[in-house]
Amino acid sequence: MSSSTQPRATGGLRAAMNPDRRKILYGYAGAVALFVLGDILKPGFASASGVQQILQVSSFVGLVAAGQTFVILVGGIDLSVPWVLNSAAIVMSAVAAGSGGGMTLGIVLALVFGLVCGLANGLGIVLLGVPAVVMTLGMNGMVQGLILGVTHGLTCGGCGAPAPTALNTLMNGKTAGIDTSLLIWLGIIIVVSFVLSFTSFGRRVYAVGNSERVSYLAGVNVKLVTIVLYSLSGVFAAVAGVALAGFGGSATLGMGDPYLFQSIAAVVIGGTYILGGRGHYLGTVAGAIVLVTLVSVLLSQNAANYLRDIVYGAVILVILLLYGRQRGEA
Amino acid sequence: MAEQAFGGRAAGPPGRAPGPSGGAARPPLPSPGELLRRRHLLAQNVPLVVAVALLVAILVIYVVLYLVSIGSFPGAFEAASITDHAVPLSLAAVGQTVVVLTRGIDLSVGGMMDMTNALAALHLHGGLGPEILWTAIIMAIGAAGGALNGLLVAYGRVQPILVTLGTLSIFQGMALWILPSPGGHISSAYTGFFLNPGVPSALIYVVILGLGWSAFRRSRLGVDIYAVGNDEAAARANSVPVLRAKVLAYVLGGTLTAAAGIALATTTTGGDATGGDVFTLSSIAAAVVGGVSLFGGRGSAVGAMCGAFVLTVLVDVLFFANIDPLFQPFYQGLFLVLAVGASTLLGRYLIRRRR
Repeated sequence: MSSSTQPRATGGLRAAMNPDRRKILYGYAGAVALFVLGDILKPGFASASGVQQILQVSSFVGLVAAGQTFVILVGGIDLSVPWVLNSAAIVMSAVAAGSGGGMTLGIVLALVFGLVCGLANGLGIVLLGVPAVVMTLGMNGMVQGLILGVTHGLTCGGCGAPAPTALNTLMNGKTAGIDTSLLIWLGIIIVVSFVLSFTSFGRRVYAVGNSERVSYLAGVNVKLVTIVLYSLSGVFAAVAGVALAGFGGSATLGMGDPYLFQSIAAVVIGGTYILGGRGHYLGTVAGAIVLVTLVSVLLSQNAANYLRDIVYGAVILVILLLYGRQRGEA
Repeated sequence: MAEQAFGGRAAGPPGRAPGPSGGAARPPLPSPGELLRRRHLLAQNVPLVVAVALLVAILVIYVVLYLVSIGSFPGAFEAASITDHAVPLSLAAVGQTVVVLTRGIDLSVGGMMDMTNALAALHLHGGLGPEILWTAIIMAIGAAGGALNGLLVAYGRVQPILVTLGTLSIFQGMALWILPSPGGHISSAYTGFFLNPGVPSALIYVVILGLGWSAFRRSRLGVDIYAVGNDEAAARANSVPVLRAKVLAYVLGGTLTAAAGIALATTTTGGDATGGDVFTLSSIAAAVVGGVSLFGGRGSAVGAMCGAFVLTVLVDVLFFANIDPLFQPFYQGLFLVLAVGASTLLGRYLIRRRR
């Protein structure tokens, strides 16, 4: 509607800048602004190594948020992220330690574990008709209970969960002067963006998100798409778990907890519509970077925990009021 | 739509049907129309019926397990223990229900309970005067927090889940600011007024809440809230003040959550600025088990309170079933999914048969 009222003087550029894409650009602009602000407040904040550090932390949020973007694009949500992530990390560490250097096996099993959890989510939502909030909330509890029970809360002798050293070195190493973990994230960003923008599956995701009914009538297998997306969300949570355990050197209990709200916030700050149908992973990436940079700026000022929480919440609200609003009289 | 909005009002009879005392004096021959009407009512209130049935079932299981492992029937002390633990969750679940009825959701429940719990632990002692005053202040803070949520949702036109995600963080921060480390205390007079370790006297609050709800759902605001949740556009077209109903729903939700925070402080007789966090998700779980639809417009406080009691008793059942506490979240999660799944499938089945 609004585009028709605007003059098309600049032609191609203006046509390419629809509101959704503009939001993504704002996200990156916001991230850059935060880096500048951080550097002013604390010189050296935006140095090459400082930026890489922040991006590295963002990558974990970004990985979880990839799955979250998928399910939010069809109007769903995945609350099972914390313990799927945590459990995948524990599975990977336990298998790799148990089988003597079976790092590959550990990673594969961790990803399969994530896939199974996500698949179960999708099946429950589609076949049982359980709302996504309830299904994934229940799944989070089930996975948590299973892993805690089976590992005895990581308190028994042989089940401490140090990550394989090879993975640890890989995640903390550099390739061609850039952190390897960042290159991995970059690869995933390219793949996910390609899938969303240039494949028929990506088109179907947007179609289902805009209207399940119309997509169904147009011949889209809505149930299948939904199940696949939840499975992908499980896989991405598992990938994040493996990456995080590798980066930090071990799998710890509760390591996934911060990633639930952060992943949702990253998706939303990145301009994805929470009821589905609009948004892109590139925006989510910007959202993740903005969130982590914001926290880092506050940390660099030695802000108290409580102040951090308050600012964090206030910033999310301000961003939403600026561009997360629905049109009136929907 | 109107039928749905008012259908809930008749929740009483079918809800009571599975209870122990029902069914004694039935009229001998109900007409076919009467039968059809009853089946309609049942189909419309499946979630509530399921919630009550679940509560009865889990209480029976609890008593049997208790009998097997202890060798006697549970007494007043056990009843009081369950009630005292269930009251904070019941209050939070009813608060959540009011919001969910408008097709919203309140993720800030945990933060609000942190904050009010911390305030209660700091101030609810030192005589009757200050205690009454601070109870009022804390409830007012709950209402103000709810108003913030409601205004942002209604006038800011931001999705409820996102607004309350933001305010959750803010409330959590304020709780930590108020009470940086666990502590404080509540005077025993105050605690004793609300709770009694030997007798399930806190059931009074459940009854009061239930009675209050039956008045509320007949009130102008109650009808408005159900209408908005059922079909916002239709409600607006019928000159329901949609924005006002939404804001007031969040205000009411916040106030009830503040009461839950106070109740939590009295059961633990102290404060912890993170102790309320779990209530964000458990209040949603209790409401959903109690048959409140996350898609708005359907459900009641009675159901939500049933849900809260079911989830509370479930913990005791798992304990007496000798289940490793580490596995507890597994069974809780499984129970949640199965309960909601069964209720959904049963509802679908009944609706299909009705046609």
